[in-house]
Amino acid sequence: MEAKSQQTRQTLLFVTVILFVAMLGISWLFHGTGVVHNDVKRNIYIPKELTMPLQVKAAYNGEKMFFRYRWPAQQPSLYHDMMKYEGGKWKRYGDSVPGPQPEGIYEDRLTMLVDDGTVSDFEKYGGYITIGDRMRFFTDEAPGEEVKKHPYLGKKMGQSEVTKYLPQTRTDINNWASVIPEEELAAQREAGYFLDLWHWRAHRSNPIDKSDDQFVAEGRFGDKGKSVFFNNWDSDKKQPRFMFDPKKTGGRAALNWDDLMQRKLGFDDLYYMREDQTKPYDPSYSWKEGDVLPRRVLRPGEGSATDISVVGKARWKDGYWDVTLARAMDTGNPQDDKMFENHHTYAVAFAVHRGAQGSRWHYVSLPVGVGLTHQADFQAVRFQGDTPKWEQEWTEVKLFYPGQVSWPLLNSSRHAGAAKIKQGVPVKFRHSEIQLAHYGVEMEFNKEITAQWLYTLAAGLLLIVGLGFTVILLLPRKEG
Amino acid sequence: MAPYHVMLVHFPIALWTTAALIILMRAFSDGALARAADGALTFLLFLGAVTGALAFMVGLLVWPIEAVAGSPLARNHLLLAIWSLAYWIVLWLLRWRGGERVWQGTWRWIMLGLAALGVGLQTITGTLGGYLAGNPSIVSEVVRRLGWEVFTTFYLPDWILILLVIAALIMIALGFIGSRARA
Repeated sequence: MEAKSQQTRQTLLFVTVILFVAMLGISWLFHGTGVVHNDVKRNIYIPKELTMPLQVKAAYNGEKMFFRYRWPAQQPSLYHDMMKYEGGKWKRYGDSVPGPQPEGIYEDRLTMLVDDGTVSDFEKYGGYITIGDRMRFFTDEAPGEEVKKHPYLGKKMGQSEVTKYLPQTRTDINNWASVIPEEELAAQREAGYFLDLWHWRAHRSNPIDKSDDQFVAEGRFGDKGKSVFFNNWDSDKKQPRFMFDPKKTGGRAALNWDDLMQRKLGFDDLYYMREDQTKPYDPSYSWKEGDVLPRRVLRPGEGSATDISVVGKARWKDGYWDVTLARAMDTGNPQDDKMFENHHTYAVAFAVHRGAQGSRWHYVSLPVGVGLTHQADFQAVRFQGDTPKWEQEWTEVKLFYPGQVSWPLLNSSRHAGAAKIKQGVPVKFRHSEIQLAHYGVEMEFNKEITAQWLYTLAAGLLLIVGLGFTVILLLPRKEG
Repeated sequence: MAPYHVMLVHFPIALWTTAALIILMRAFSDGALARAADGALTFLLFLGAVTGALAFMVGLLVWPIEAVAGSPLARNHLLLAIWSLAYWIVLWLLRWRGGERVWQGTWRWIMLGLAALGVGLQTITGTLGGYLAGNPSIVSEVVRRLGWEVFTTFYLPDWILILLVIAALIMIALGFIGSRARA
C-alpha cells in the first residue's frame, strides 16, 4: 500500500516538473508576441529593420565644406508626390502616410542637423531635443485645425502641424503652443539659437543637383529666399498649375502611371518636373486615364535656400546611395546657416528616409562631433583644390528608428534617466542605438505592454507558488 | 536609494549562490562535508529571502514607479526580481519543510534543477540591474543569443497567460491528490 502511494506521488511529481518546464519553455519561445503591430489609425508603423548603417566623410578647402554620405537601400525611391488623371480628375498619390507609401511614391532623403555649440544639449542628445509636444504623426499629434489657429505658428508662419522645434522657444516644453514672444524668438536667432538643417531629397532637389536648405528654431522652416521646388497644385481651380511642355520633353505632356508602378523611370529619364520644361496647365488638353503630373516643380531657387549643392552626381548603385553635398563655409547668412571655421568642432546628427517612407519613419543618429582639423568623432580633412580626393576612411555611424519619444517625455518622471539629463549626462553614455530603437517601439505601445507585463508577472508568480505548494505536498513521508 | 540597493543586493546574491553550491555538493555527495554544509542550508536560504526582500523594497524606491513602468529594462529587472525572490523562498520552504527527505532518491535531482533555475534567474536579474546602474555585462548578450532581447519587455501573449494559470491550478490539484494518496 505504502509502496503504491509512494509510486503515485513520484508520478505526480514528475508530471508537475514536466508541466513546469513545459510552461517555462513555451513562455521563452513566445514571449514578446501579441502586442506590437502596425496600426496606421494611431500613426503606428514599425519598420522591419530597426537600425541601419551610414558612412560619412568630411573635407574642406577653406572656402567650401564637403560632406560625403553612403548608405544602403534596397532600391532608390525617386518618385514623389504625383497627380494621376483618374475619371476626369487629378488625384494625389504620394502624400505622407504612416510607414511606406503604398504605391512607392515617396522620395529617399538624407538630412543633417548642424550646430556650432550654441544650442545647449544638442551635442549631448542630438535630434531628441527637437521632438516636442504632440508632434506631427505621433499618436497624440495636435490636430491641424488647432495648429492653424495658433496666432504665431498657424496664422503668421502658416504651419498646419507641429514640426521640430527647440525647447527654449517655448515657455513650457510640455506645451507646443506656448511659443515665447516674437521679439525673444528674433533675439534667439540672432544669438545663433537654431540648428542648421541640410536636407537632400531624391526627387525635390537631386535632379537639379541641389539640396534643400532649412533650419530648426521655433519650428522647421526653409532658409530665406526661394526654395528649389514649389507646389504644382492650384487649390482654387482644383487643377495642376503646370504641365510638361511637349516641345521641351520630346513630345510628352505627362508621365505615365504604369511606368511609375513598374519603376521604369530611372536617373536618366524624366521622372520629375523642372520649371523650364513646363508650360501653364491646359485643361482642354486631351488628358487620358493614367497620365501623371508631378505635384512638385523644381527650380533654381534664390538666396540662402539654395546654399547647398550636390557635388558630381548623387546616385544609387549596387544597393547603395552615394551622395556628396557642398556649401560655402561662410554663406553670409548667419541667421539661417551655421558657419564652418577651421579649428572648430561641430555637432551633427544624421537621418535617412528610405523605402518610400516619409515624416517620422526615418533612421536617425545620435549626435556626432566633427572637427575641422580638430580631433572629434570624425575629422574633416583640409585639402587644396576644388574637390576632395576622399582618401580618408569612412566613419561608420549607426542609425536607428526612434519611435515616439519626445523631449517632454525624456524630461518627465516617466523617464528613469530624466535626472541624468538634468545632470547633463550625454545619451550615448547610457543607451546604445539598438536599445533606443527598441525603447522607441515599446513607447508606441507603452500602455498595452505595461498591462501585459503586469499580467505576465502575476501569472509567473502563480506558477512559482503553484510549483512550491505542490512539491511540498508531494514530499515523501517522514521515516519512522 | 540606488547606492543602497546596489549595496544590499550583494547579500541575497551571495547567500543564494552559496546555497546553490551547497545543493550542488549535497546532490552528488552523502559525505560528512556535504551533510555539514547542508545543515546550514535552511538558514542560508532564510537569510537570502530576508535580505532579498529588503533589497527589493529599497530597489522600489530608486525611481518613481511611473519611470519603472515606462522603461523596458526596469520592467524586466522588477519582474525577474519578484520571480527570483519568490522562487528562492519556495526553495527555502521546501528545504525547511522537507528536511533530509529532499535528498532521497530523485528528490536530490529536483533540488539541483530548482537551484540551477534559481541561479539563472538571479543572474539575469543582477545583469539587468547592472545595466540600469550603467554597468552592462556580456551576460545580456548570452541571453540575447538564447532568444530574448533584454531591451524589450518580457511579456507573454494572452493564450500563454491562460495556459500558465491552468498549469498552476493543475499543479496545485496534483499536490492535493498526492497529499491524499499519502494520507
